[in-house]
Amino acid sequence: MQQYIIRRSLLNIVVLFLVATMVFAALRIDPNQVVNRRAGSCFLQATAEECRMVARAELGLDASLPQQYWDFMSGLVQGDLGRSFLENKSVLGEIAERASPSIELGLLQIFVGLIIALPIGIISAIRQDQPVDYILRSVSIFFLGVPSFVLAVFLIVATGRWGGGTLEFLGTGQGWVEIWEDPIANLKRVSGPALVGGLATGAVIMRFLRSQMLEVMRQDYVRTAWAKGLRERVVVIRHALRNALIPVLTVVGLLLGTVISGNVVLESIFGIPGVGLYVTISALQFDFPVMQGIVLLVALLLVFVNLAIDVTYGWLDPRIRYS
Amino acid sequence: MEQQQAATPLATPAAPEFALRARPNALQNIMKFARKKPLGAFGFILVFFMVAMTVGTPKAKFGVPELPDSPFGIELGQPYMSRYDEEKQFKIGRRLNINGSPSWENWLGTDSNGRDNWSRIVWGARRSLFIGLWALTVATSIGTFIGVISGYFRGILDTTVQRFMDALQSFPPLLTLILILTIAPFTSEPSLVVAAFALGFVGIPSIQRIVRGVVLSVREQQYIDAARVIGATDTRTMIFYVLPNIMASIIVVFSTGLGVVILAEAALAFVVPQAVPSDRASWGIMLNTARPGLVDHPWPGIASAGAIALAVLGFNISGDALRDVLDPRLRT
Repeated sequence: MQQYIIRRSLLNIVVLFLVATMVFAALRIDPNQVVNRRAGSCFLQATAEECRMVARAELGLDASLPQQYWDFMSGLVQGDLGRSFLENKSVLGEIAERASPSIELGLLQIFVGLIIALPIGIISAIRQDQPVDYILRSVSIFFLGVPSFVLAVFLIVATGRWGGGTLEFLGTGQGWVEIWEDPIANLKRVSGPALVGGLATGAVIMRFLRSQMLEVMRQDYVRTAWAKGLRERVVVIRHALRNALIPVLTVVGLLLGTVISGNVVLESIFGIPGVGLYVTISALQFDFPVMQGIVLLVALLLVFVNLAIDVTYGWLDPRIRYS
Repeated sequence: MEQQQAATPLATPAAPEFALRARPNALQNIMKFARKKPLGAFGFILVFFMVAMTVGTPKAKFGVPELPDSPFGIELGQPYMSRYDEEKQFKIGRRLNINGSPSWENWLGTDSNGRDNWSRIVWGARRSLFIGLWALTVATSIGTFIGVISGYFRGILDTTVQRFMDALQSFPPLLTLILILTIAPFTSEPSLVVAAFALGFVGIPSIQRIVRGVVLSVREQQYIDAARVIGATDTRTMIFYVLPNIMASIIVVFSTGLGVVILAEAALAFVVPQAVPSDRASWGIMLNTARPGLVDHPWPGIASAGAIALAVLGFNISGDALRDVLDPRLRT
């Protein structure tokens, strides 16, 4: 087990190295657009060519490519992600500031998703092609289909109009308080977007869980469990669900990366100062260091979360042994 | 082909008892599917309805000689189902009928420019489906290619490819989209094809992962050994033995992926409206245009969000039903 974790961690480092190289290369495919964009905001006295020279130097594009690559990589190894172009602040610090809202929202969103997905996925699998399966599944997938900002606007309006003062916190909120400062205010702040996002995430997990459950319920060991005369609850939860959950966990792990870095829509509507909003704004402004930094940090999070998930497989399924 | 026939001469004469058993025709098969999977059949109806929206007449139906976008080089003309040209503005008296409620003239009301929502939904179906098909064609063809090769050969090639895919997957999807749309050299102006290609590219890692998983289990089957024994090359085995057997999974991935792309296009229109050409509305663009007035004038929003939701529902439930029917292990 220890050996497995060490080997996987080494592989993860390879993956992270690949990510760093890919993001470096992607941002240098066609730097002219970036240079032109930045040269636009230059002193009026200078000629266009001078502006472009200044912009190139600012972007660090005047060095040779191997030199740039070396600088970038050696910076990374030392934990230095550079400074943002727009505000000239340390990228690492900027991201750290925005990380906790995003991670919290992402985790809560997946939590809401699981609460929705587990019962619906199980029931619609064991009652396959019966009315209850159709109704639950249609409702759940419908919420996946409605674009999240429509749901968000609906939630904000509905709670404001008919919330009776008790549910209004779902739709409103200003500023941000960290969870360790004021847990209740913080949870109230995140509950709205987590609910909206969770409805969509829940449908994705539900579909996957259902198909896994359908497959597992036809396995021999489940038939044996029925034949032993076990109660339905025991067969479904202890024999089937445990085995069906394993591939579902992988999907949840992959979703985690998306919900942490990609919640632009929810973050902008509910005004949550998170990574998703930051990376989008930076990308639209060609803020290279910020884009590089966020991609790398998300990748770092993702590979080690996936490692953790693979390790929990062994705990969920005793047949899996790592050597 | 000759080689295969030489190797299996018994397959050439038709077995008589096989011919005696009446095979159910296509209609009977469809009826059986509809009886067994009513929800899946409903999904297919939704999908067919969306496809039907794109069908049009080559002649100018509304008098305007309009040159339509030609997805895959096919000129579709003006859609039969639209009641008006998509740019036609409606008036009440002399004023434009802005954000009108549904009426006999405008079944789903009018938008902020006084245009008919129903007609715009019909026109938009074409673009949304076009983006979806293009994106999925890119994603499934490249994803299948990588997945089959990686899963079939395994070993060091598999490990290398999979680590690359891991790396690709850890890019935030929206960031990858923006990267492609802004930095790639071929994007001087917004185009449906580039947006579709970008949306497809983002899907490659997850699709190849699914395909590879299926290939890993298929390659251990006896018929693959049999193919090797009769001397099929790796290429031949992959194309004629592995590919047909993973086709069911690919079809399911394709159909549910269409729903994902339609949603992703809506999100893209929200985050980077300039990435998608706005003169020819897709559902995502329509929804984004309806956003400021979503609360006070809900009809444009209801129309476009409803269209997206129903399309996603249709692609998902029909895909699920297809999987239930095509996967022999799930047959009841």
